[in-house]
Amino acid sequence: MMPLVRYIARRIVFVVPQLFGIVLVSFFLVKLIPGDPAVMMLGPTASAQSLAELRDKMGFTKPLLEQLTHYLADVARGDLGTSWQTTRPVTEDLFQRFPATLELVTFGLLLAIAIGFPLGVAAARLKRGVTRKVADYYGLLAGALPDFWLALVLIYVFYTVLGWIPAPLGRIDMAILPPPTISGSLVIDSLLAGDWEALRSSLGHLALPVLTLGLINAGPILKMTQSMTERTLSSDFVRYAEMCGLPRRVVLRQAVRAALPSVVTIISVLYGFLIGGAVLVEIVFSWGGAGQYAVQGVLNADLNPVLGFVVFSAVLSLVTYLIVDLIYFALDPRLRA
Amino acid sequence: MVAAPILDISDLWVSFPAYRAEPVRALKGVDLAIPPGEFIGLVGESGSGKTTLARAAMGLVPPPGIIERGQVLFNGRNMGQIEDEARRAVLGRELAMVIANPRAELNPVVPVGRQISNIVFYHLSVSRAEADRRALEMLRAVRIPDAERRFAAYPHELSGGMAQRVVIAIALACTPKLVISDDATSGLDVTVQTQVLDLLKTMVAEKGASALFITRDIAITAHYCSRIAVIFAGEIVELAPVATFFERPAHPYSITLLAAFSHSPELRLRWTRPPEVDAAPIPAGGCAFAARCVRRRERCLAEAPLLRPLAGGRSVRCHFPVDESVT
Repeated sequence: MMPLVRYIARRIVFVVPQLFGIVLVSFFLVKLIPGDPAVMMLGPTASAQSLAELRDKMGFTKPLLEQLTHYLADVARGDLGTSWQTTRPVTEDLFQRFPATLELVTFGLLLAIAIGFPLGVAAARLKRGVTRKVADYYGLLAGALPDFWLALVLIYVFYTVLGWIPAPLGRIDMAILPPPTISGSLVIDSLLAGDWEALRSSLGHLALPVLTLGLINAGPILKMTQSMTERTLSSDFVRYAEMCGLPRRVVLRQAVRAALPSVVTIISVLYGFLIGGAVLVEIVFSWGGAGQYAVQGVLNADLNPVLGFVVFSAVLSLVTYLIVDLIYFALDPRLRA
Repeated sequence: MVAAPILDISDLWVSFPAYRAEPVRALKGVDLAIPPGEFIGLVGESGSGKTTLARAAMGLVPPPGIIERGQVLFNGRNMGQIEDEARRAVLGRELAMVIANPRAELNPVVPVGRQISNIVFYHLSVSRAEADRRALEMLRAVRIPDAERRFAAYPHELSGGMAQRVVIAIALACTPKLVISDDATSGLDVTVQTQVLDLLKTMVAEKGASALFITRDIAITAHYCSRIAVIFAGEIVELAPVATFFERPAHPYSITLLAAFSHSPELRLRWTRPPEVDAAPIPAGGCAFAARCVRRRERCLAEAPLLRPLAGGRSVRCHFPVDESVT
C-alpha cells in the first residue's frame, strides 16, 4: 500500500499550483471579455459620474495586478466575491447550482456508459452482423446530433405528444416541497427522506435531460470501447490466450479488461467537459445548473460568477482526474511498481 | 515407427490472399509426421513458414490465411476444420505452445500464478484451490526460486528467463501430448537459453510428450532433437536424423545454414552464391533455392525437385544432393 500513499500524496502536492495556474489564466481571460459591469448594473441612462464611482467602488480602476492579488487573497479565504445579478455570494450560488449540474451529468453519463459500453464490446467481438452495423450508425448519429436539438425532440415526443413526463421546467414540480438537502441531488435526497412524491417528481424531471445526455454521450464511449477492445482482441496476450485454448468468454473478458483504462479516460474527459458543456441542455430544461449560471454571468459582464464557476469546475476536474488515476492504479499493476 | 504419429501433416498448402495479385503461398506442400515421444527440430530463416506451420498445426492460421490443400491431423483430429469449441479443448490441454516473447504475451495484468492456474482450471475442471495448488507445483517444477512469492508476481516483475519458465509451466501444466516451441528462447542470454532448453527437454521427456522445436538457431536442434527438418520458402528441403544431418548435410541450403553458424569464413564463402548483377530471372517452376544455390545447373531452373529419400533415413528436395562431408 505504500506506493499508493506516495502516489496520492504526489498528486495532491500538485493540486495547489495547478489551481493557481488555472485561476491566473482564467482571471486574465475573463478580464479580456468586453463589457462594462457598471453600465450593465446602472443601465444606459446612468450619468458618467455615477458610473465612474461604481467602477471605483468595485475596484475596476485599480491596476490589473492589484485586482488579481485581491482576488487570489479572497479565493484563498474561500470567498469568490458577489454576483451583482443575484446579489448573493458566488460561493452560495454555486453550492446551490453545482449539485443540480452534477446530478444531471452523473446520471447522464451512467446512462451513456450503460448504452455505450456493452454495445462497444459487442461490436468489437462481432466483426460482421447487425450489432456491428447498429453500433457504427449509432456512433455516427450520436456524434452528429446536437444535444439541445435532441432534447427538443424528446420533449416534443414525451411531453407534447405522449404526455408521459411533467413539463420540462426545473428539477421538481413547483407545487412539491423539495426534500431536505443532504447530497444536493433531488433524487437521492428524496430517497433518503423517504419522500416518494418528491422522488417521482424529480425522477420525472430528470428523465429527459438524462436521456438526452446519455444518448449523445454514449457515442464516444461506444467508439472508444469498440476500438480499444478490437485492439486488445488482436494483441499478443489475447493471441496467446487463444493458443492456450482458454474459453471464449474468458479471452473476451481479458480483452475487455485490458481496454478498460482507455474507456475510463474517455468517461472522465466527458465528465469534466459536461460540467460546463451541458449548458444548452440545462437551458432547454430550465435546469438552473452551474453552466447556465456561468453563461448568464458572461452575458451580463458579471465576472465573479464566471471566475467562480471556473474555479469550481477546475477543482472538480482535478478531483475527477485524481479518482481516475486511482482507478488506473487499481487496473494496472505495472503502475504500482 | 509403428505407433501412429501424434501430429501428421500431409501435403499442407497455406496461402495468404493478396490484393490484386497471386496469393502468397507460405507453405507449399509440407509433409511432416511426429511420432509419440519424438523431438523434431524445424529450422529455417525468417519468412520460411515456420510459424505458419505451427499456427496451422494449432488450427489457428492467422487471417486472412487459408489452408488451400492438404490437412493437419493432431491425434486423429483435423485441425484445419475443427470447431471453435473443440479446438479450445485441444489447445493448451493436448497441444501446448511455448512462445518466444513471454513478457509481451503473458497477460500483463494477471499474476503469473493465476495464469498457470487458469489453464488447469479451465482444462481439467478442478476446483480453483486445486488449480492453484498445481500451478504452484508447476512453478516449483520449472525451478523458479521462491515460487510462493513469484506466484503473485506480474509478468513485468520477472526477468526474461523467469518469464520463459512460466510459459513452460503453462505449456506443461495439463500434461500435453505435443509441445511446440516457436523460437522460444531466441530472446534469452546463451547461458539462460541452455538452462531453459534443458529444463524444457527434461520436462517434456518426463511427461512422455513429443516436441516440435522451431528455431532459427540450428545448433539448438543438434542438442535437443532426434530429427531435423529444414524448411525453405514454405517447403521442407531436408529431413534427416540429427547425427546424419550434422555429419553430412545433403541440401545446399542446409549447408549454408550450418556455414552461417560455423567459424570458418571460407566455408561460408564457398557455399554463398555471390550476388549477380545481370542475373537472368529465375523462371517459375524451377527449384525455389536456385537463386541462392552455388551448385545450380540447367535442370534446377527447369524442374522443381521433389522430396525424395536418400540412404541413412533422410530425405532431400534437391536434384543434386551434396554427397561429401563438407566440414
